[in-house]
Amino acid sequence: MEIVNSSRVDNYLMVNGKFFESHQIPAIRNQLLKLDDSKWSTLQILQFKDPTLMLIISLVGGSLGIDRFMIGDTGLGIAKLITCGGLGIWTIVDLFLIMGATRERNAEKLFQVL
Amino acid sequence: MECHERTMTNTLTFQSKPSEHEAEKASNSYVMSLVALMAGLPLPIINLIATLAFYIANKKGTYFVRWHCTQALFSQLSLLFINSFGFWWTISIFITQKDTINNNYISYILVVILFNLIEFIATIYSAIQTRKGIHVRWWFYGDIADLICKP
Repeated sequence: MEIVNSSRVDNYLMVNGKFFESHQIPAIRNQLLKLDDSKWSTLQILQFKDPTLMLIISLVGGSLGIDRFMIGDTGLGIAKLITCGGLGIWTIVDLFLIMGATRERNAEKLFQVL
Repeated sequence: MECHERTMTNTLTFQSKPSEHEAEKASNSYVMSLVALMAGLPLPIINLIATLAFYIANKKGTYFVRWHCTQALFSQLSLLFINSFGFWWTISIFITQKDTINNNYISYILVVILFNLIEFIATIYSAIQTRKGIHVRWWFYGDIADLICKP
């Protein structure tokens, strides 16, 4: 049973590992190993945002705050939209931040289920 | 696992090797300051605002990321003072025409260019090394980062 659970967790992380920060993976793995069978079905239907896609969206629509809206930071998205991407400065900063921010939001989403 | 810490003069060992994404974030703090510096030219404050925003965004990050964001922030802060003075001196010469281009001005601008060049090279070097997971510690700024950033 332990081996089955371990291989299921490994498979899950192999498919979804790219959606999380690499230093969070061991903690996620530990949580998944302890996870109850009933929660696995909820976990399977959980959708994560792709960090690379978010970077492309940030490049194209960063000055309108579309990237922030998409990862769920509505307040920051509105602020970015009103200030025209923080007069361009925020847009530049977000180009470097958005991938990490997306991975963190994904992890938060996962931990809500766990 | 051990990570090497490289100062301007010697190599020390750092406690744990940062993960792939940590190294990427720390390296991004230097790359972003360069991009903001270029985008904000000739205004000397854009790079500082951008680095400060990056520092605030990573305030809850891991120690390695926070430390390098702090070092990048303080290096940009010193650039602000030296560049602002040169910028407004130049503006006063061309706009008000009270001042003229004299030896003091030329020598100051040469110092500003030299300082910016050193900073530019050091930032590129740090970005490359940090991306590999090597802990690059600058003279003076490294000590300030140590004082401000606690594990």
